[in-house]
Amino acid sequence: MDPLIVTQAINVVYAVSILAVLALGLAVIFGLLGVLNIAHGEFIMIGAYCAYVTESRGWPYLVAVPLTLAVCSLLGAAVEWIMIRRLYRRPFDTLVATWGLSLLLRKIAEAFFGPGFRSVTIPLPGTIKFLGTEYPIYRLMLIVVSLAVVSVLVIWYGRSRTGSRIRAMVNNPELAQAQGISVRRLAAATFVVGTCLAGFAGVMVAPLVPVQPFMGLDYVLRSFFVLIVGGLGSVSGLLSGAVVIGGFDSVISAVTDAANGYFAVLVLAILFLWLRPRGIVARA
Amino acid sequence: MRAPSIVVLIVIALPLLLGEFWAYQLGLYALYAAAAVGIGLCWGQAGFLPLGQALFFGLAAYLSGFAFIGFQNHLIIAVLMLPFAALASGLLAYAIGYIVFRRTGESGAYFSMITLALSLLAFQIATSWNSVTGGFDGLKGIPGLPGLDDLSDNYYVSAAVLLVVLALAAWLYSAPIGVLWRALAQNERRLQLFGFDTNQLKSIAFGVSGLIAGMGGALYAPEQGIVTPQLAGFGLSADLVIWAAVGGRGSLLGPVIGTLLVGSLSSELRDTLPFWEVAMALFFIAIVLIFPRGIAGLAEPFLRKIEGRKRGRPFIAAPDAPTQRPPAALTLHDVSVRVGEVTILDGLSIDFDRAGIFCVIGPNGAGKTSMFNAISGELSGVSGQIGLGGSDIVGLVPNRISGLGVARKLQIPSVFPDLSIADNLAIALWSGRAAKVQLLKPRLRRWTSPMLEQLQSRYPFLASGPRKALELSHGEQQILELAMALLTEPRVLLLDEPCAGLSPEETDAVMGLVRWAAQRLGGAIIIIEHDMSLVKELAEVVYVLHNGTLLAKGGVAAIQADAKVRAVYVGGEK
Repeated sequence: MDPLIVTQAINVVYAVSILAVLALGLAVIFGLLGVLNIAHGEFIMIGAYCAYVTESRGWPYLVAVPLTLAVCSLLGAAVEWIMIRRLYRRPFDTLVATWGLSLLLRKIAEAFFGPGFRSVTIPLPGTIKFLGTEYPIYRLMLIVVSLAVVSVLVIWYGRSRTGSRIRAMVNNPELAQAQGISVRRLAAATFVVGTCLAGFAGVMVAPLVPVQPFMGLDYVLRSFFVLIVGGLGSVSGLLSGAVVIGGFDSVISAVTDAANGYFAVLVLAILFLWLRPRGIVARA
Repeated sequence: MRAPSIVVLIVIALPLLLGEFWAYQLGLYALYAAAAVGIGLCWGQAGFLPLGQALFFGLAAYLSGFAFIGFQNHLIIAVLMLPFAALASGLLAYAIGYIVFRRTGESGAYFSMITLALSLLAFQIATSWNSVTGGFDGLKGIPGLPGLDDLSDNYYVSAAVLLVVLALAAWLYSAPIGVLWRALAQNERRLQLFGFDTNQLKSIAFGVSGLIAGMGGALYAPEQGIVTPQLAGFGLSADLVIWAAVGGRGSLLGPVIGTLLVGSLSSELRDTLPFWEVAMALFFIAIVLIFPRGIAGLAEPFLRKIEGRKRGRPFIAAPDAPTQRPPAALTLHDVSVRVGEVTILDGLSIDFDRAGIFCVIGPNGAGKTSMFNAISGELSGVSGQIGLGGSDIVGLVPNRISGLGVARKLQIPSVFPDLSIADNLAIALWSGRAAKVQLLKPRLRRWTSPMLEQLQSRYPFLASGPRKALELSHGEQQILELAMALLTEPRVLLLDEPCAGLSPEETDAVMGLVRWAAQRLGGAIIIIEHDMSLVKELAEVVYVLHNGTLLAKGGVAAIQADAKVRAVYVGGEK
């Protein structure tokens, strides 16, 4: 096959899998807790800045992972405690409050790092021969890591005790509480898992994008559209949304330019709103 | 001295007191303030939050920039085109609102996220469409407004536009449409059941907010001489929301105060104090969580004076209800509803084919409330026919069905808690009577009708106008909602457990009202009721529902003697 086509095909696979990981944290928080965390993109930004700090200190790149997880879990827990906890079941107030949070996190990043771009060098530079074409190693690795993260989360959610407790909480919080599950602690933990996933995604993409305070906006919108198109509350929904949005965006952007890709995604999301408002995989 | 004239005087005196630089600054922020008033309209009145409002400001600014550059030798033409630039923004906003609201029917996350995405998109288009917009550097060298030479002239123009915007907003807030916006923010479903197209009301609110943002943006171009992509982008959109919130989104002047105070302070301080914007973001969160009324909330007593007091003015007779058409038969034929595996209604056929009081009873889960939901158009996937006066109403949206003369009282008292009793009652009077254009006339708030007067003499609390509905007791709220349903003078009245949770005295009052209504309306009144002693007193015919279908029908005594009914209630064979 034409190596160019193979490269483009891998590009689409890459776009889809990275989008799935980028949207994963939002999917957990929005899908399970019903909280639309507009600051989701800013947790991705925090992950990216953690990668930047790691590199500028001269630490090995993998240090960024525990660093991000520490920052995002502390911050996520604090936010849940101060802000989100009083707003469960008040979706509109949550929207406004997390929008304020996203603003706050951006301004903090700007105050510390300045408004300009920072770049992070790719930890695994170079290309590798793959399916008859030269492809960047780091991107290939990201595809593998993305799939691994999604599958580990799915297996954990389906098999572990905590996973089944969360399922109980989602289905019926009162009954779960009556069974001795601390819904309050479990919800907090779920929120923290969501913010940590966002931060981890940030570490993954940091070497490939300009790291800047405003980077999160784009991610949260894309993630939101993935969930709208795919449908809330299931892995198949997340993946199909990522396939549609990521595939559409990368194909249109490759054929024309990035602004058109963005426009196409927006139009697609509005079309879905009209034709299939609950997404491809609607939860009963 | 009248309050608005004080505001005008302050506006005229300001540049003389503060000097030219501040006059220039305030002139600029007066334009932003117009856009912030639009946020107040959407968020503080109608209860949905646009996150990309700069889109409309920027669009009008670019359009007016093109006009001023294109007609730089005939600037008067450019000036004449300013209103069209604003109008374009308004129409775009209305169209976006129409597309999004019509489909989701909720004002929450989806709308806000779409508007946010649109403003990012507008920024991208403005930056990348070099040949037209001048790219990142923007449109430069836009000529100024003809005949103005110093900075305070521009200030007066901006201030005049802001005053026009405020006058427009003040008028809308005091007109019925403003009452309906506040009502839909509190209880959208209830408003639909009164026959109002809430999606259209929201689209209009968003359209007006786009129009007034456009008025600010259209003037921005000639006053500043340059239009950059930032004007349509995320940053300004965010600032507008913050200013409206900090100033107080719920009041008319709050967004203006917030913009002039915080906005112009920010432009001074954001470069000198590195953490100024962090502090503003924290402040915003605190406002949202703790003090939603903002600065205007602190200044409330003073502002109330400025915004004008309502004087007691005489009532005006409302036109006759259109539903003074002959009572109509309501017939359900083979109506079924399934959600997933669960059958909610199973081939239900009932005729309410004459005037009178009918009671519907049945064990929990029999499908009583679902039957009401199917009649009033709130269930999707209904099969079969529901006939009202001979025409099939299956598939119509709730507000259409209400317009045909079906009124409903919900099980949990469902009024507009933050509105006054008078406004609650007025909404019911407008239902079906007021043409859409009439909703712009403030005098409609003084409508009354013979039935309202009769109700007020039965229940004097209904005449205590300015009290908020939430201050009423549970029983009074039940009576208020029932009164509201009656005021529409419906052909068919659906009452879902009207006496639930009431004391014996309150129950008597409601029962008296129901009997009075049956005589007064002359249509069918259908009541879901559990309490057999009430059923015995009220019902002419009793219908028993079980598993989504009609089990028995007849007089009270016959029903009580019916073996099948007894079996269901005693819990024998299902």
